[in-house]
Amino acid sequence: MLTKVWSVASRGLEALEIEVEVNVAAKGFPGFQIVGLPTKAVEEAKERVRTALVNTGIAFPAKKIVVNLAPADIPKEGSAYDLAMAVGILAAIGEIVLPACAGRPEKKIYFYGEVGLDGRLRHTRGVFLLASLAFEKGVKEIFVPKLSANEASVVKGVKSFPVASLRQLIRHFQGEKKIRALKNLDKNRLIEAAEVDFDFKEVVGQEQAKRALLIAAAGGHNVLMVGPPGSGKTMLARALPGILPELLEAEALEVTKIYSVTGNIEPGGGLVRRRPFRSPHHTTSRMGLIGGGTKPMPGEISLAHRGVLFLDEFAEYPRTTLEALRQPLEDGVVTVVRVAGAMKFPASFMLVAASNPCPCGWLNHPKKPCICLPGQILNYQKRMSGPILDRIDIHINVPFVEVGKLRQDTPEVKEVHTSGVIRLQVVVARKIQEIRLKNDYIFTNGEMRNKQIKKYCRLSEDAERLLQTAADKFQLSARSYFRVIKISRTIADLERAEGIEYNHVAEALQYRVRS
Amino acid sequence: MREWKEWEIKLLKYKDFPAGLQRVRPKVKQLFYRGEWKKDLFDKAVAVVGSRKITKYGRMATEMMVRGLTEAGYTIVSGFMYGVDTAAHKTCLENKGRTVAVLGCGLDCLTPAENDSLYTKILENGGLVVSEFTPKQEAKLWTFPYRNRIVAGLSQAVLVIEAGEKSGSLVTARWAFQQKKKVLAVPGMITASLSKGTNWLIKNGAGLARDANDILEELGGIRPLKEKRKGRILPKLRGEEAAVVEWLKREEMDADELSRKLNKSITQINILLSELCLKGVVEESGNKFMLGLEYVD
Repeated sequence: MLTKVWSVASRGLEALEIEVEVNVAAKGFPGFQIVGLPTKAVEEAKERVRTALVNTGIAFPAKKIVVNLAPADIPKEGSAYDLAMAVGILAAIGEIVLPACAGRPEKKIYFYGEVGLDGRLRHTRGVFLLASLAFEKGVKEIFVPKLSANEASVVKGVKSFPVASLRQLIRHFQGEKKIRALKNLDKNRLIEAAEVDFDFKEVVGQEQAKRALLIAAAGGHNVLMVGPPGSGKTMLARALPGILPELLEAEALEVTKIYSVTGNIEPGGGLVRRRPFRSPHHTTSRMGLIGGGTKPMPGEISLAHRGVLFLDEFAEYPRTTLEALRQPLEDGVVTVVRVAGAMKFPASFMLVAASNPCPCGWLNHPKKPCICLPGQILNYQKRMSGPILDRIDIHINVPFVEVGKLRQDTPEVKEVHTSGVIRLQVVVARKIQEIRLKNDYIFTNGEMRNKQIKKYCRLSEDAERLLQTAADKFQLSARSYFRVIKISRTIADLERAEGIEYNHVAEALQYRVRS
Repeated sequence: MREWKEWEIKLLKYKDFPAGLQRVRPKVKQLFYRGEWKKDLFDKAVAVVGSRKITKYGRMATEMMVRGLTEAGYTIVSGFMYGVDTAAHKTCLENKGRTVAVLGCGLDCLTPAENDSLYTKILENGGLVVSEFTPKQEAKLWTFPYRNRIVAGLSQAVLVIEAGEKSGSLVTARWAFQQKKKVLAVPGMITASLSKGTNWLIKNGAGLARDANDILEELGGIRPLKEKRKGRILPKLRGEEAAVVEWLKREEMDADELSRKLNKSITQINILLSELCLKGVVEESGNKFMLGLEYVD
């Protein structure tokens, strides 16, 4: 007997409906075959499904079983078709009865998930994408592994049934005991408590760097920190997530999609509300960073979408890897083209880079002498190319802090800024930007192009004059000139000032690129 | 790039050497040179040498000394390597002086490569680039200390700006002692590794060089330029700006330190520093801020 059930395949960040046809023939040699360009993982579903059904107490039919995954010309990957196949077989042998749908989408049901040998369902990636597709196609019911069901529950209008095991599913369709569909979760209640490695108050000294990170967080600016080993660059970067505001709802959905497809959501996890913080190692391959592969998958820059991409030891990255960042930094998306097709991944992230000033690290250190030759230092600094540095708004030095000196200068610890306090400032500043920039479909000052800068950044007279003087004296390039204005805008927003004043520009000048 | 190649290489025979160079032992047999050889070039010449690594202090000292010497009409002789040598050549050219580079390799081998444009500039400004080695001779470890005797031989005095304990500059100083030339050294902090060599020189009989006048006095016959080289008068500063300058007079600092010392927020400090930098009173190097060179007393 022939049955049809539906499942979903993912291609990059897009999903595609797959029809799973199962035929249990009355005649022919007993066997189990899967057609429709299955890869190894799909091929092995045979053994998983067979054993799972047997262990659930179903007499596996000694008949010729053919499973066709249609459309048959698209390669199928992964273990997520297990459930659909198992359900198809159960229906074909009359163990369960699926509601007839006759092609009407609202009667269709999606089955999705990997089956274990004992008949239980495992956490499977891509459930959020499945729910989104169901919503798009008007499909009302989806059956997914219990551990992944939370991801689906944020999509309104789709009933997601958390399935723990095949046995539970059989009883559901036999009408013995129904599985309760998950309620649509209130998105605002899904906020995970932000767990951060460091609080800003733990970072001793480095007021300049902290202020720069506050401005960067408030305006979504890219930052480059240069300093000797042990000066606290990494610690500062790791404290950054603590001062970033939560994702807006639209942003959260974008991020969850990427995380769901790449399997980065923990079992039981739902909507991603925390801003991503990614810190790949400097040996990460270019494709690992940008995205790619024969079947293109999002890379680190897409995983950092709407969050922070922290590149420690920036100068140690291969040049080709860094140069590949140029276009995504500019456009906020990356297009990966392979023979199999072109795919667009969102990659609007805030770049935080940290580097030593020279190979040995001790250049400009008050005590330790630098042992590098001038040529070596030049080569080291040359690795960070002009075009890349040109796309980084804020450049700061993170000097070495002598612990003794700190104590001496600050007998009582000065007004301590905790991450919580700083974060509040960031949230307010971001809100101001969100309102101002909403007609341009961007969220932060960091994303402004020249057109928007001219539109939204009015300088007071003396601020204008100061900037002109600085442009002459420091020989600012056109790009740096606009960057100073962008940072001034954010500083003004932090003070809730309408226009850009003298002091805002004067401060912003300290974060310019030094050449 | 490599415009200096257009200048012809000429050979100077022993009998045409300046008297000082003829007395140098081991004997210099020949001297290749690019540029225009003028007799008066070595009448008043001082060698300014120092470590290849240069600190900010060293750079400042080089600039102060070389500027004074150049204004007094002295030719600056140095070794063309990076660090103090390059700083000396460059400062001399900036002050419209003439400078002579003694290479530790042949005239056609550019070492170090980043001094390409400096090579041309020295020639264009009436200076010389000289070497005792044949033009294709590569730089070797031994060639540098060896050519140092020529550096000493071409000048009336040797000024050592910065030197570590085992610096090549000390070799130059030794050649100069041997050749009965005057040796002066710039003192430094006893803790600074790059002042160990110069402090040792002073203890062992080298002259103390606190400014260009010290050198001019040592060479004699020249009236010290004391009045002229006073620090420039600071422009009128606001109270807060003056406070920042007051601290920077003592030592160079970064923004964080200033913020702590003055008990002001980093935002205020940043604004002040921007203003002072634009006025030219304060300069920035590495990550430290310091008083502009012309305002140092």
